[in-house]
Amino acid sequence: MTPGQLVRPWTDLFKRASRTVDAASAGTPQPADPTVTSRVFPKFLDVLAHREAPTILDLGPVVGGNIEFFGERLCGKIHVEDVVADIEDHSRRGERPALAAFLATRLRQAPASVDGVLCWDTFDFLDMAAGGALAASLTRLLKPGGALHGSFGTTALELRHYTRTVVESASVFRTRHYPATPVPRTVRLTRDMIRMFDGLVVAESVLLKSNTRETLFRKP
Amino acid sequence: MWKRDEAPRPTSPAPAPAPVSSAPVPREADPAASRVAMSSSASREVAHIGKSVVIKGELTASEDLVIEGQVEGKVELRDHLLTIGPNGKVKAQVFARTVVVEGEVRGNVMATERIDIRDAGSVEGDLSAPRVAIADGAHFRGSIDMQRGGADVKTPASSIKPAVPAPTPAPAIAPAPSPLLK
Repeated sequence: MTPGQLVRPWTDLFKRASRTVDAASAGTPQPADPTVTSRVFPKFLDVLAHREAPTILDLGPVVGGNIEFFGERLCGKIHVEDVVADIEDHSRRGERPALAAFLATRLRQAPASVDGVLCWDTFDFLDMAAGGALAASLTRLLKPGGALHGSFGTTALELRHYTRTVVESASVFRTRHYPATPVPRTVRLTRDMIRMFDGLVVAESVLLKSNTRETLFRKP
Repeated sequence: MWKRDEAPRPTSPAPAPAPVSSAPVPREADPAASRVAMSSSASREVAHIGKSVVIKGELTASEDLVIEGQVEGKVELRDHLLTIGPNGKVKAQVFARTVVVEGEVRGNVMATERIDIRDAGSVEGDLSAPRVAIADGAHFRGSIDMQRGGADVKTPASSIKPAVPAPTPAPAIAPAPSPLLK
């Protein structure tokens, strides 16, 4: 608990109450936050919409608006596994080399139990070994016919922030940044990704104006 | 156990030393930290577990409940609102109509109507409710099951799971077909 939370004037309570309702319902995208138009995400949703009570695995931080979006749209189950937080923990402790072994066993869901995976920017923060370990886990967890929606940076630079992606609609995301321990982005060529996700096939891949590659993988 | 007695009682506070008292204590005249008090606003009864109260075991109520203390075990409120206040720490399986979390919960939470994790709230466990709202700033780790009719507090025993994300999806009731995308 932070010191600011110890004393809560009544006015703050009212502010908190109104903010909570808004935030919970809409994920609080701010007008100043940039938006991204996705051409691949509608197809990811389409895959899940045809599956009964789909199970989704989200590798990013929990976003209330996204939970509500998927709940209303798909009536399914969502596993929130904030792998990004684990990556940050390892980075802060200077234990990034241990990430590969950690990620190999991080996800405890049963094999072939997940219909859809969301991994937005996660692999940018992982070297080849750690990325390979996580990709192998995700491939194992996906059900046949399941889909993985990923976004991958294509420009080599030092990453200083993580991105919180808020789904505004089936084709529009709003992104917000939050600080990260600086780390060079791992840029993967398309062939690297195909090798990394051995067992999945690329159903669609689009290079966005932001130099981010948006890819939909399917498990045959 | 926490119900208000049928006959009206004097409004003076209960004798202090006992950490958990079943005597009704009006909230306004209740300076003691260790207490279990009940108050009624308008026609609605709300039980209140004070922040120095520690309960281990099974807690069942037929009225709304606010937890500001610590509870370990199981909390079951049929058709009522459970609020885990900012000071509340619950390490338990929780079943209620609506659950509002402003404090900490470690364990699975099931609601027949809604689960609302406020911005200072923290939950580590699986959620099951038709509607789930998680505010920005809230901490959550686990899974969220929003299948229509997926939460049923009337059969909690079959739903008790360890407070870790469930490894396999287990739909209790088949939902309506998913809506088609436009």
